Amino acid sequence: MTDPAIAVRGLTKIFPIPFHRQSIVAVRDLDLRVEPGEVYGLLGPNGSGKSTTLKIILGLVSPTRGCTEIFGRDSRLVKSREAVGFLPENPYFYKYLSGEETLRFFGRLCGLGGAGLKNRMDELLELVGLTNARKRRLGTYSKGMLQRIGLAQALIHDPRLVVLDEPTAGVDPAGSREIRDLILDLKRRGITVLLSSHLLAQAQEICDHVGILADGVLVREGRLQELIAIENQTELVIANASSDLVEEIESLIKRSNAELVARRRSTTTLEKLFLDATTERPRS
Amino acid sequence: MSDQTVVVARHRTFSFSRLFAITTNTLTELTRLKVFYVLLVFALVLIGSSIFMAQFSFQQEFQILKDVSLGAMSIFTSLLAIVAAARLIPQDVEDRTIYTILAKPVPRLEYLLGKIAGVLLLLAISTLVMSAVFLFVLYAREQSVIQMTLRQMSGAPREQVDDALRAIRSSALNIDLFPGIIIIYLKASLLAALTLFVSTFATTNIFTIVVMAFIYFIGHLQATAREYWLHEHSSGWITRVFLAIVALLFPDLQAFNLVDDIVAGAAISIALFLKTAVLGIFYTAIYTLLAAFVFYGKEL
Repeated sequence: MTDPAIAVRGLTKIFPIPFHRQSIVAVRDLDLRVEPGEVYGLLGPNGSGKSTTLKIILGLVSPTRGCTEIFGRDSRLVKSREAVGFLPENPYFYKYLSGEETLRFFGRLCGLGGAGLKNRMDELLELVGLTNARKRRLGTYSKGMLQRIGLAQALIHDPRLVVLDEPTAGVDPAGSREIRDLILDLKRRGITVLLSSHLLAQAQEICDHVGILADGVLVREGRLQELIAIENQTELVIANASSDLVEEIESLIKRSNAELVARRRSTTTLEKLFLDATTERPRS
Repeated sequence: MSDQTVVVARHRTFSFSRLFAITTNTLTELTRLKVFYVLLVFALVLIGSSIFMAQFSFQQEFQILKDVSLGAMSIFTSLLAIVAAARLIPQDVEDRTIYTILAKPVPRLEYLLGKIAGVLLLLAISTLVMSAVFLFVLYAREQSVIQMTLRQMSGAPREQVDDALRAIRSSALNIDLFPGIIIIYLKASLLAALTLFVSTFATTNIFTIVVMAFIYFIGHLQATAREYWLHEHSSGWITRVFLAIVALLFPDLQAFNLVDDIVAGAAISIALFLKTAVLGIFYTAIYTLLAAFVFYGKEL
């Protein structure tokens, strides 16, 4: 049996407040499993514990209780990060470096060098559409360009897992679509993607699995299509149906105990699921 | 994206290649700071202008030139060490670049060592530039005084001229300046390591700089205060332990002030130089280790 890309077991993170007896529970008893090759969306309102969870998975924050693993390795171990690429929310990077200098710096941190690194830089700059801007300093880059160079640095060492924190935050619709296409390309290549997002429509387009966090608790988790399906309804998608056929079907429904709810889509939206999941718990 | 395999070197617990990447990047970051050039230019102008400060005897002139120049080097390398080291970690946290770096297979110790090595390299470059200007100014004045003396003593006996030239040379450019410059550099290194340590638990640059300003003054005054304390009070073991802790927390910066002796023309003994140099290296290493210890458990 292969190791999951990410395994989180009984994770709790409590932040003590200095000079106070109280503390903040950012994440509570979280269990999560991300299988290799899938796109997993971690969703939740601000302050729900998404970023803390990602930081614990990346070894940037230590858990109060529980454990996290990346491909079977304790994620507190530096070695576990060989398999991970990370793009933080609104990345800034060193603005005095050019696009290619940024990739060279991060490549060297991952043990790359020589012609291999140069080829990889060329390939990634082409992939994210920044070949023409490779010599420009990051200080002159737009937000969308920063996000794309951020994605390129996350991929520099060809990781098996990519963690993206709000990858399309602040990016215009066209740039957002480009990033979405890049994520789908990663998925086609078998790379596991864990992303946190507020853009639910986009998450619905690309995620295989979703988990919804509210107040540090995982309130919904599962395969996206199963989560957004409505259990007592059936959707028939018929091509080239004549009006007679449609009327016949409707009359058949009337004769039985069933009820025709709609003649179009019968699934809910991810946005509705998200809001239902996050508003049914009183905020503390 | 092509499906070619990327050849990544096997992960090593400690890698000089990664350390070098962080060090050179830190050096680049610091050399892009305007404050670096402002401080360096100001120090160079002060060293250069010290040539006009004395118009008395050549001994006085050289003494003032050395006093002003070595004093300027000491203050500016110390200031640069504090200002440069104070911003490194808080800035990376604020810009979130620290997340992208530490999310790669980079141990925290390597990140911290790379940062301090970058600052030490910057201080070395600054000290070299300031020393070059200082020694050039001193040499130029020495040659000028020698030429003037030769003109004035054109009819004097050979031995008298030789004595005069020896006196000029011994009071101008001499070998004792170099240990003094090395100690100035080591004092700045110590301050950089201590600043980095403070910045690992400080929340802002300003806090770090204010704390370091206090430490700087306490460090210069503590030797006098210690002597007074031991003289006035009993020197039991509690007092000695307390003073030892104070001495560790606040380094005796006055011990690094060899400039006064050099300016006065007194030669620094090799034993004193080595003792001070080892003390500087020891403090720098201890503060770097303390910084690494705090940074290891820091929640980012």
